[in-house]
Amino acid sequence: MSAPVRTAPYRSQLPPARDGFGQLLHAEWTKLRTVPRWGLVLLSAMVVTVLVSVLAVSGSSVGGGGPAAPVGPDGNAVKDTMQLVHERLPGDGSITARVSGLKGLKAPRPDGGRAGGPPAVNTGKTPGWTKAGIIIKANTKSGSSYAAVVLTHGHGVRMQWDYTHDLAGSATRPDEDRWLRLVRKGDVLTGYESADGKDWRRVGSVRPAGLTGTVEAGVFTAAAPNTKVERAFGGTSIAEGPGRATAHFDELAVNGGEGGRRQATIGRPAARDTVPAVDLASGSFELRGSGDVGPLQTDTDITRQTLSGAMIGLIPLSALGVLFITAEYRRGMIRTTLTASPRRGRLLAAKAIVLGGVTFVAGLIGAVLSFQLGEPIMRRNGHKPPRWPELSLTDGPVLRAVIGTAALLAVISVLALALGALLRHTAAAITLIVVMLVLPQILISGLPLGAAHALMRATPLAGFAIQDAIARYDHAAAVCLPEEGCYPQGPWAGFAVLCVYAAAALGLAIWRLRRRDV
Amino acid sequence: MEATIEVQGLRKQFGQTVAVDDLSFTVIPGQVTGFVGPNGAGKSTTMRVLLGLDSADAGRALIGGRAYSALRRPLTQVGALLDAAAVHPSRRGRDHLLWLAHTHGLPTRRVDELLETVGLGSAGRRRAGGYSLGMRQRLGIAAALLGDPPVLLFDEPVNGLDPEGIRWIRGFLRALAREGRAVLVSSHLMSELEDSADHLVVIGRGRLVADTPVAELLAAASGDRVALRTSDRTRAMAVLAREGATVAANGKESLSVTGLPAERITALLAAGGVPFSEVSAHRATLEEAYMELTRDAVEFQATDTQASEPRAAASQASESQASEFRAATGDGDMR
Repeated sequence: MSAPVRTAPYRSQLPPARDGFGQLLHAEWTKLRTVPRWGLVLLSAMVVTVLVSVLAVSGSSVGGGGPAAPVGPDGNAVKDTMQLVHERLPGDGSITARVSGLKGLKAPRPDGGRAGGPPAVNTGKTPGWTKAGIIIKANTKSGSSYAAVVLTHGHGVRMQWDYTHDLAGSATRPDEDRWLRLVRKGDVLTGYESADGKDWRRVGSVRPAGLTGTVEAGVFTAAAPNTKVERAFGGTSIAEGPGRATAHFDELAVNGGEGGRRQATIGRPAARDTVPAVDLASGSFELRGSGDVGPLQTDTDITRQTLSGAMIGLIPLSALGVLFITAEYRRGMIRTTLTASPRRGRLLAAKAIVLGGVTFVAGLIGAVLSFQLGEPIMRRNGHKPPRWPELSLTDGPVLRAVIGTAALLAVISVLALALGALLRHTAAAITLIVVMLVLPQILISGLPLGAAHALMRATPLAGFAIQDAIARYDHAAAVCLPEEGCYPQGPWAGFAVLCVYAAAALGLAIWRLRRRDV
Repeated sequence: MEATIEVQGLRKQFGQTVAVDDLSFTVIPGQVTGFVGPNGAGKSTTMRVLLGLDSADAGRALIGGRAYSALRRPLTQVGALLDAAAVHPSRRGRDHLLWLAHTHGLPTRRVDELLETVGLGSAGRRRAGGYSLGMRQRLGIAAALLGDPPVLLFDEPVNGLDPEGIRWIRGFLRALAREGRAVLVSSHLMSELEDSADHLVVIGRGRLVADTPVAELLAAASGDRVALRTSDRTRAMAVLAREGATVAANGKESLSVTGLPAERITALLAAGGVPFSEVSAHRATLEEAYMELTRDAVEFQATDTQASEPRAAASQASESQASEFRAATGDGDMR
């Protein structure tokens, strides 16, 4: 035992060290890649995602029956059925009319009322997108280009053109009178509305794709379909049948028209309504119509279906997120970690970034493979254009859905990491994340539509809205059914909800970690 | 940075349990400081507070004059081995050091260098789950040394080492101290620190029992007794007593002499023509010194299981018992 010797203080000969955020990221990456089991978890997440996706699309087929839908100016399937009173308009000009008394009628039976066919669907309510108004249309063929100013039953005055476009005018009630005017000048069509025929207010100016040369100008009535949805655990029954509506038109004047007004039925309505015998020339008559004008809202989102494996792929990735932090607690390694980087908030941030990056890459590989393998299967199963347009990975919505799926999985794994840091218990954290994401999926299939939509908006499940790759139109009057992959909000809005969950959980985890002894 | 550890008035409570109570001591560079106390005495808690893992309820725990959280590039300032089992079992030993090195941008060759230093060279390629406790201790020591820090904290590093390993670590700790580092080594067994510690900080129940150089402690425990073996007991006693020594007979041929150094005793006996076969200065072991030091505290612990405010320090045991007595008789508030 020697007596204490005072020597010169120790000086290290090592090159200077650095402990910046970059070093921390590098260290966390090293941690992640040096546990072989975690690599297997990542791999299994990719395999499961692709496998489940392919299995899901293999089971989805569509029958060939039914009449082919008309094709709109952009090549996509549309709905174009209405009752029209029209005359030719060879050049510039305008059409003006007053519409009043728009109301829904008892629904006709589908298939033109043939005996033995399906029964009529009556809901007792007139669908909001039932409409009557003035139109300038390229020709009387179903699917041709048009621009219209209409009074709707539930959405006021609108200007609509070429099926997919919709502009809001005043919020007029359907029992009020409204003067409507459409002015054609060159290829520009400008819509106006007025309460009294004197004071005109512009609704909008549009340039539809195919309104050149001689066109048809007239008034029309169309009725959005009646839809009844009944949902219970185990199944959804949805009954949809044609609607029928009537409206009164007067003060009809076509400026620059050739005269010789005729009545025409566009498309194939369920019921052939006749205009009561009135003098078409006088410009005052009742016009009944059934059938709808607008985009054909497809109920199958091919892109979403090919990516459905992500719902299962999220489970291994969540487990990885949880383990990335709970494994440190389990062995007490968190102490070593925190002595090397005492700034705890920074540490969790670095973990989140490394984990998010790795799971994003794994998710992206899984999503791209799923789409590339699944899309041809969907085509083989009968999903063909024009009802289901051609898709490519480079299309905007498809790209958003595919990259969004990877981002979705990355954010879910970060959420799992945060829950793991909060609970410090592997099984508890994995259970919680699975409950947060899987339980709502089960519930939404059985709850009433309103409650299901509320869940899809408010739970982390909302993030799956990012997989939406079909255009959804507010004015298309489709029922948004969860089982058809429809989310009640936009893709980004839904993804934002999930991000808020992850950010809040991570913030809370950092706050807790800073205050706790470890 | 000055390579010191300072603990001043440190207090740490977990719920109702006081783990560390008004603890103060200083560890200086250039020597190995043993941090001794029974299990549950507060050694690990003190180390966790020093490393910024637990927060102190009162007092300060500083390294080089700074709180751990204020240290820049902490691995280059302090190295710590807290729990050898704190490695992911499916990670290779080398990878464990590698991620730690990456937090400070240290080169990979530093990792390989240290694996050699602690004798894990080829075992570094194996998964840490298959390591023996001794190998994990070596891995933990390598981790503590990664940043080549001037201050080192080892919590029970000898645990689980085989005799060869114990010998290795003793030499290793001394070598680290000789380089001018401050080395704090905790143990619940005083004997483990025999031959390696220069200074001792002894705690019991969270309070300081002793803060003393090992040499002084041993001298105090040994006293200046000399054991003597002689065939002529009576004459030996007479010769030595005349020179002022206190002589006690232990057995038929053995005597215990106090008050004279061994060399003087040999000279006197030789001069007086007294036959003797052995003269040896008694030397206490560290363990004996420790037992001596904590005897009162241990007795106190045995009788005082219900104490509301545990005090283990020997010097305060009687005072504590007295105060409890006062409290029990109702005038405790008047203190």
